[in-house]
Amino acid sequence: MADIQTGGGGGGRHEKKRAKRSSTHIDMTPMVDLAFLLLTFFILTTTMYKPSTLQLTFPVPQDEKEKPELQKVANAMTVFLTKNDQILYYRDAFEPGVTQLTRTNFSDITKILIENNRSTFEQVQELRRRYNANEIDQLAYDTLKNNVEKRDEALFVIIKPDKDAKYRNMIDMVDEMDITGVGKYAVQDTIKPAEQELLEAEKLKF
Amino acid sequence: MAKIKLPKSSPAIDMTPLVDLGFLLVTFFMLTAQFRPEDSVIVDIPSSRSQLVIPTENLMTVVVDSAGRAYWDFTDKKVRREILREMGNRYSVSFTPEQEQRFVSLGAIGMPMSQMPAYLSLENATERGQMDRVSKGIPMDSTNNQLLDWIRVTQLVFSSGSDGKNPIVALKGDGNVDYSVMNKVIKIFQSPTVKINRFRMITNLEESRLSVSASTK
Repeated sequence: MADIQTGGGGGGRHEKKRAKRSSTHIDMTPMVDLAFLLLTFFILTTTMYKPSTLQLTFPVPQDEKEKPELQKVANAMTVFLTKNDQILYYRDAFEPGVTQLTRTNFSDITKILIENNRSTFEQVQELRRRYNANEIDQLAYDTLKNNVEKRDEALFVIIKPDKDAKYRNMIDMVDEMDITGVGKYAVQDTIKPAEQELLEAEKLKF
Repeated sequence: MAKIKLPKSSPAIDMTPLVDLGFLLVTFFMLTAQFRPEDSVIVDIPSSRSQLVIPTENLMTVVVDSAGRAYWDFTDKKVRREILREMGNRYSVSFTPEQEQRFVSLGAIGMPMSQMPAYLSLENATERGQMDRVSKGIPMDSTNNQLLDWIRVTQLVFSSGSDGKNPIVALKGDGNVDYSVMNKVIKIFQSPTVKINRFRMITNLEESRLSVSASTK
């Protein structure tokens, strides 16, 4: 039978009670396994989802009579967005019979906008360079950029998506404004009958 | 010559720092992870190089999917419940507490008010998905403009609970939807009763276009 009291007889003199010394090492392997399993799970299932936004301010709707004639603004460029990601544009005011539409697409529009707005674009690039070189701070950069882009000589772009345009085209165009340093732009949905006529004629050539 | 005796090293490595680090990371990921609310709508959003991040609260989103259907979404749970009640009052539809709770926990909703109670009674996400597929979205015709009411009620309920402030408005549209559909939504935003002339359009960040190369000069 199992005997617990070994020194029961009182014979030995050095029979001090001694606790059995257990090892201080615990096997941590299962715990570590579990920890890394969880870690892997969370890393693999987490997707960083952070879309950005594009701020856009539309003009307050007014009565037709009070509406300022946008085309009379100096240095204007009217851009029509139409089917198959095509772009048609004309410069300055619309003159029936004289104005011709030029056709382009989204890969060339950047170049065209910069050409039409060269001095502003170059000044904005210069500001961007100074900002990147830490010569000016964020606030100064924003203010100076705004001043350059909004001055009278800067290009004014009127974006007119027609009935065949996709939403993506409009976003791309607004984005293009930021790329080419155009600070003055408006999205309009009113296409005048004369413009519409010219547009339809041009679209037949696609 | 006597062989150089290498000191016998123990085969056991002290794993404590490794385990510490492991648990630290586990804790971090578990605490920071947020589960995305189930989406009833899949939208392929266009990309831009704008780096303005989207706010995570006080945000009302109007979603337009590739079929041109409109959905409404709001971030704050408490406000959502009140908005549903108010919409119920306006359209004489009443909701049970369970239905309200489901509405609060869902994301974007694209149901006409007449089908809303039936939709919110469905417990199963796949059943709701089936109903979403056949739905026409929130009506936005001039005769039955429920989208305008959703926006109006959101503004009213939100501003009464936050000293007259207005919610941030975002438009999330599928890139391939016709602009004329988006224009209809923008026109609703600008209508005299809600007067939203400033809003955000949700886009994906396009890394490749972050820098304008000098060659375009």
